[in-house]
Amino acid sequence: MTTKDLMERLELRPMSTFEHREVKGVIISDMVSDVMASARQGDLWLTVQTHKSIVPAANLVDVAAVVVTSGKEVPQETIDLASKFGIPILWTSMSTFALAGKLHDLGLRST
Amino acid sequence: MATCTHRWQMAHVRFGLIAFEKCFHCGLVRTYFSAEDGLPLGEEYREDDHFWSRVETAQSFRFDLQCSLCGQVEEFSELMGLMHCTACMEDCPVEQQRRALERERTWLVVAFGFLPQALQRPLSERKLAILTDYFNQRRDVTRSRIKVVPFTLIPDLSRCGGEFLHDVGMLSQEPPGERKPLFS
Repeated sequence: MTTKDLMERLELRPMSTFEHREVKGVIISDMVSDVMASARQGDLWLTVQTHKSIVPAANLVDVAAVVVTSGKEVPQETIDLASKFGIPILWTSMSTFALAGKLHDLGLRST
Repeated sequence: MATCTHRWQMAHVRFGLIAFEKCFHCGLVRTYFSAEDGLPLGEEYREDDHFWSRVETAQSFRFDLQCSLCGQVEEFSELMGLMHCTACMEDCPVEQQRRALERERTWLVVAFGFLPQALQRPLSERKLAILTDYFNQRRDVTRSRIKVVPFTLIPDLSRCGGEFLHDVGMLSQEPPGERKPLFS
Protein backbone atom coordinates (compact mmCIF):
# COMPACT_ATOMS: atom_id res chain seq x y z
CA MET A 1 0.00 0.00 0.00
CA THR A 2 1.41 3.40 -0.95
CA THR A 3 0.38 6.99 -0.35
CA LYS A 4 -0.71 7.07 -4.02
CA ASP A 5 -3.03 4.06 -3.49
CA LEU A 6 -4.56 5.65 -0.40
CA MET A 7 -5.05 9.01 -2.07
CA GLU A 8 -6.91 7.36 -4.94
CA ARG A 9 -9.02 4.99 -2.84
CA LEU A 10 -9.93 7.39 -0.07
CA GLU A 11 -9.87 10.68 -1.97
CA LEU A 12 -7.17 12.16 0.25
CA ARG A 13 -6.10 15.55 -1.04
CA PRO A 14 -2.37 16.30 -1.31
CA MET A 15 -1.39 19.59 0.36
CA SER A 16 2.41 19.48 0.00
CA THR A 17 4.77 18.35 -2.75
CA PHE A 18 6.34 14.94 -2.17
CA GLU A 19 7.31 11.59 -3.62
CA HIS A 20 4.95 8.71 -2.91
CA ARG A 21 5.95 6.30 -0.17
CA GLU A 22 5.03 2.90 1.15
CA VAL A 23 2.59 2.92 4.06
CA LYS A 24 3.23 0.22 6.66
CA GLY A 25 0.87 1.11 9.48
CA VAL A 26 -1.16 3.81 11.19
CA ILE A 27 -0.69 6.03 14.21
CA ILE A 28 -3.41 8.32 15.54
CA SER A 29 -2.33 11.16 17.81
CA ASP A 30 -2.59 14.92 18.13
CA MET A 31 0.55 15.16 20.23
CA VAL A 32 3.98 15.63 18.72
CA SER A 33 5.63 14.07 21.77
CA ASP A 34 3.41 10.99 21.54
CA VAL A 35 4.27 10.51 17.87
CA MET A 36 7.99 10.96 18.53
CA ALA A 37 7.79 8.28 21.21
CA SER A 38 5.45 5.84 19.49
CA ALA A 39 5.43 6.18 15.69
CA ARG A 40 7.21 3.71 13.43
CA GLN A 41 8.92 4.42 10.16
CA GLY A 42 6.34 4.21 7.37
CA ASP A 43 3.33 4.94 9.59
CA LEU A 44 0.47 7.06 8.34
CA TRP A 45 -0.08 9.74 11.00
CA LEU A 46 -3.73 10.78 11.44
CA THR A 47 -4.18 14.06 13.30
CA VAL A 48 -6.18 17.26 13.62
CA GLN A 49 -2.98 19.06 14.62
CA THR A 50 -1.88 21.54 11.94
CA HIS A 51 0.87 23.54 13.65
CA LYS A 52 4.08 23.52 11.62
CA SER A 53 5.88 21.54 14.34
CA ILE A 54 4.14 18.43 12.96
CA VAL A 55 6.54 18.60 10.01
CA PRO A 56 9.91 18.24 11.78
CA ALA A 57 8.34 15.63 14.06
CA ALA A 58 7.05 13.66 11.06
CA ASN A 59 10.45 13.98 9.42
CA LEU A 60 12.30 12.89 12.55
CA VAL A 61 10.37 9.62 12.91
CA ASP A 62 10.09 9.17 9.13
CA VAL A 63 6.34 8.66 8.86
CA ALA A 64 4.99 7.90 5.38
CA ALA A 65 2.55 10.81 5.49
CA VAL A 66 0.57 13.07 7.78
CA VAL A 67 -3.18 13.04 7.18
CA VAL A 68 -5.01 16.07 8.53
CA THR A 69 -8.56 14.95 9.25
CA SER A 70 -11.95 16.55 9.97
CA GLY A 71 -11.41 19.17 7.30
CA LYS A 72 -9.04 21.20 9.47
CA GLU A 73 -7.45 24.06 7.59
CA VAL A 74 -3.70 23.59 7.18
CA PRO A 75 -1.69 26.83 7.48
CA GLN A 76 0.41 27.75 4.46
CA GLU A 77 3.58 27.80 6.58
CA THR A 78 2.96 24.14 7.51
CA ILE A 79 2.46 23.23 3.85
CA ASP A 80 5.58 25.16 2.77
CA LEU A 81 7.75 23.51 5.43
CA ALA A 82 6.40 20.06 4.53
CA SER A 83 7.19 20.64 0.85
CA LYS A 84 10.71 21.70 1.78
CA PHE A 85 11.23 18.44 3.71
CA GLY A 86 9.34 16.35 1.13
CA ILE A 87 6.88 15.29 3.82
CA PRO A 88 3.49 14.25 2.41
CA ILE A 89 0.64 16.15 4.01
CA LEU A 90 -2.74 14.84 2.94
CA TRP A 91 -6.14 16.28 3.79
CA THR A 92 -9.59 14.85 4.26
CA SER A 93 -12.93 16.11 5.44
CA MET A 94 -13.50 12.70 7.07
CA SER A 95 -13.22 12.43 10.84
CA THR A 96 -10.24 10.58 12.26
CA PHE A 97 -12.58 7.78 13.34
CA ALA A 98 -14.13 7.39 9.89
CA LEU A 99 -10.76 7.43 8.15
CA ALA A 100 -9.30 4.94 10.63
CA GLY A 101 -12.19 2.58 9.87
CA LYS A 102 -11.54 2.80 6.12
CA LEU A 103 -7.82 2.24 6.60
CA HIS A 104 -8.60 -0.80 8.75
CA ASP A 105 -10.89 -2.13 6.01
CA LEU A 106 -7.97 -1.76 3.58
CA GLY A 107 -5.86 -3.95 5.83
CA LEU A 108 -3.71 -1.35 7.55
CA ARG A 109 -3.05 -1.81 11.25
CA SER A 110 -1.38 -0.01 14.11
CA THR A 111 2.30 -0.99 14.02
CA MET B 1 35.24 -9.97 22.25
CA ALA B 2 33.56 -8.28 19.28
CA THR B 3 32.09 -4.86 19.98
CA CYS B 4 28.36 -4.52 19.48
CA THR B 5 27.17 -2.41 16.55
CA HIS B 6 24.15 -1.33 18.65
CA ARG B 7 20.62 -1.15 17.33
CA TRP B 8 18.99 1.46 19.50
CA GLN B 9 15.40 1.41 20.67
CA MET B 10 13.56 3.87 22.84
CA ALA B 11 13.15 2.62 26.39
CA HIS B 12 11.82 3.86 29.74
CA VAL B 13 9.55 6.48 28.14
CA ARG B 14 8.13 8.88 30.75
CA PHE B 15 5.58 11.50 29.70
CA GLY B 16 5.39 14.78 31.56
CA LEU B 17 5.85 18.52 31.30
CA ILE B 18 8.85 20.71 30.60
CA ALA B 19 8.60 23.94 32.57
CA PHE B 20 10.38 27.11 31.45
CA GLU B 21 10.98 29.63 34.22
CA LYS B 22 12.55 33.06 34.00
CA CYS B 23 14.05 35.27 36.70
CA PHE B 24 12.77 38.78 36.12
CA HIS B 25 15.54 40.11 38.30
CA CYS B 26 18.51 38.88 36.21
CA GLY B 27 16.89 37.35 33.10
CA LEU B 28 18.20 33.82 33.79
CA VAL B 29 16.12 31.03 32.22
CA ARG B 30 15.85 27.60 33.76
CA THR B 31 14.02 24.50 32.67
CA TYR B 32 13.05 21.25 34.33
CA PHE B 33 10.96 18.16 33.74
CA SER B 34 7.94 17.43 35.91
CA ALA B 35 5.61 14.46 36.00
CA GLU B 36 2.92 16.69 37.59
CA ASP B 37 -0.23 17.20 35.53
CA GLY B 38 -0.73 20.91 35.96
CA LEU B 39 1.95 23.54 36.33
CA PRO B 40 0.21 26.93 36.33
CA LEU B 41 1.83 29.74 34.36
CA GLY B 42 2.75 33.06 35.89
CA GLU B 43 3.26 31.77 39.42
CA GLU B 44 6.06 33.84 40.96
CA TYR B 45 8.30 32.85 43.81
CA ARG B 46 11.61 33.87 45.24
CA GLU B 47 14.57 31.53 45.62
CA ASP B 48 17.88 32.98 46.88
CA ASP B 49 18.54 36.02 44.68
CA HIS B 50 16.14 34.98 41.92
CA PHE B 51 12.50 35.92 41.32
CA TRP B 52 11.21 33.02 39.25
CA SER B 53 8.10 33.06 37.12
CA ARG B 54 6.88 30.14 35.02
CA VAL B 55 6.57 31.46 31.48
CA GLU B 56 5.73 28.29 29.56
CA THR B 57 5.00 24.62 29.99
CA ALA B 58 5.05 22.02 27.25
CA GLN B 59 3.99 18.41 27.25
CA SER B 60 6.95 16.28 26.40
CA PHE B 61 8.59 13.02 27.35
CA ARG B 62 11.86 11.59 28.57
CA PHE B 63 13.43 8.42 27.35
CA ASP B 64 16.52 6.29 27.39
CA LEU B 65 17.91 4.24 24.54
CA GLN B 66 18.55 0.53 24.82
CA CYS B 67 20.44 -1.69 22.40
CA SER B 68 18.25 -4.54 21.19
CA LEU B 69 21.35 -6.63 20.46
CA CYS B 70 23.37 -6.41 23.68
CA GLY B 71 20.96 -4.77 26.13
CA GLN B 72 23.18 -1.77 26.88
CA VAL B 73 21.19 1.19 28.20
CA GLU B 74 22.15 4.80 27.53
CA GLU B 75 20.40 7.27 29.81
CA PHE B 76 19.20 10.57 28.39
CA SER B 77 17.88 12.15 31.57
CA GLU B 78 19.86 15.31 30.76
CA LEU B 79 18.08 15.76 27.40
CA MET B 80 15.40 18.43 27.68
CA GLY B 81 14.20 18.20 24.12
CA LEU B 82 14.87 18.54 20.44
CA MET B 83 14.50 21.68 18.42
CA HIS B 84 13.92 22.33 14.75
CA CYS B 85 16.08 25.16 13.38
CA THR B 86 13.89 27.75 11.66
CA ALA B 87 16.81 29.56 10.00
CA CYS B 88 16.08 32.67 12.04
CA MET B 89 19.68 33.96 12.12
CA GLU B 90 21.87 33.74 9.04
CA ASP B 91 25.05 34.15 11.07
CA CYS B 92 24.17 31.33 13.50
CA PRO B 93 26.51 28.31 13.25
CA VAL B 94 23.48 26.02 13.51
CA GLU B 95 21.88 27.68 10.49
CA GLN B 96 25.18 27.49 8.58
CA GLN B 97 25.41 23.76 9.32
CA ARG B 98 21.75 23.30 8.49
CA ARG B 99 22.21 24.85 5.04
CA ALA B 100 25.30 22.76 4.30
CA LEU B 101 23.64 19.52 5.46
CA GLU B 102 20.43 20.22 3.56
CA ARG B 103 22.34 19.92 0.29
CA GLU B 104 23.19 16.33 1.32
CA ARG B 105 19.54 15.66 2.27
CA THR B 106 20.52 15.55 5.92
CA TRP B 107 18.17 17.29 8.34
CA LEU B 108 19.59 18.96 11.38
CA VAL B 109 18.01 18.68 14.82
CA VAL B 110 19.25 20.61 17.85
CA ALA B 111 19.48 18.77 21.18
CA PHE B 112 18.87 20.84 24.30
CA GLY B 113 19.87 19.99 27.82
CA PHE B 114 18.19 21.44 30.88
CA LEU B 115 19.12 25.04 31.61
CA PRO B 116 21.19 26.48 33.09
CA GLN B 117 23.28 23.40 33.97
CA ALA B 118 23.56 22.29 30.32
CA LEU B 119 25.42 25.50 29.50
CA GLN B 120 28.28 24.15 31.61
CA ARG B 121 27.66 20.45 30.97
CA PRO B 122 26.12 19.96 27.53
CA LEU B 123 25.26 16.55 26.14
CA SER B 124 28.45 14.75 25.25
CA GLU B 125 29.49 14.22 21.63
CA ARG B 126 29.12 10.50 22.27
CA LYS B 127 25.49 10.86 23.33
CA LEU B 128 24.73 13.15 20.39
CA ALA B 129 26.21 10.50 18.09
CA ILE B 130 24.03 7.83 19.71
CA LEU B 131 20.94 9.99 19.21
CA THR B 132 21.92 10.56 15.59
CA ASP B 133 22.41 6.80 15.11
CA TYR B 134 19.04 6.07 16.72
CA PHE B 135 17.07 8.41 14.46
CA ASN B 136 18.90 7.18 11.36
CA GLN B 137 18.45 3.52 12.30
CA ARG B 138 14.67 3.96 12.37
CA ARG B 139 14.40 5.70 8.98
CA ASP B 140 14.96 5.04 5.30
CA VAL B 141 18.39 6.66 4.98
CA THR B 142 18.35 6.34 1.20
CA ARG B 143 15.86 9.25 1.23
CA SER B 144 17.35 11.42 3.94
CA ARG B 145 19.32 11.38 7.16
CA ILE B 146 19.20 13.12 10.55
CA LYS B 147 22.07 14.80 12.37
CA VAL B 148 21.73 15.88 15.99
CA VAL B 149 23.85 18.86 17.04
CA PRO B 150 24.27 20.55 20.44
CA PHE B 151 22.40 23.74 21.35
CA THR B 152 25.68 25.23 22.59
CA LEU B 153 26.38 26.11 18.94
CA ILE B 154 23.70 28.82 19.22
CA PRO B 155 25.58 32.02 20.12
CA ASP B 156 22.61 33.87 21.63
CA LEU B 157 19.64 31.88 22.89
CA SER B 158 17.61 35.05 23.43
CA ARG B 159 17.60 35.62 19.65
CA CYS B 160 16.81 32.00 18.76
CA GLY B 161 13.45 31.47 17.08
CA GLY B 162 13.76 27.69 16.77
CA GLU B 163 10.76 25.43 17.25
CA PHE B 164 10.85 22.92 20.08
CA LEU B 165 9.28 19.59 19.28
CA HIS B 166 7.06 19.88 22.31
CA ASP B 167 3.31 20.12 22.73
CA VAL B 168 2.61 23.65 23.88
CA GLY B 169 -0.84 24.55 25.15
CA MET B 170 -2.29 21.06 24.91
CA LEU B 171 -3.90 21.44 28.34
CA SER B 172 -5.18 24.95 27.69
CA GLN B 173 -8.88 25.72 27.35
CA GLU B 174 -7.97 28.56 24.99
CA PRO B 175 -7.60 28.12 21.22
CA PRO B 176 -3.95 27.79 20.24
CA GLY B 177 -2.09 30.98 19.43
CA GLU B 178 1.23 31.55 17.73
CA ARG B 179 4.17 30.17 19.71
CA LYS B 180 6.58 32.66 21.16
CA PRO B 181 10.36 32.25 21.36
CA LEU B 182 11.11 30.68 24.74
CA PHE B 183 14.42 32.32 25.54
CA SER B 184 13.77 35.95 24.63
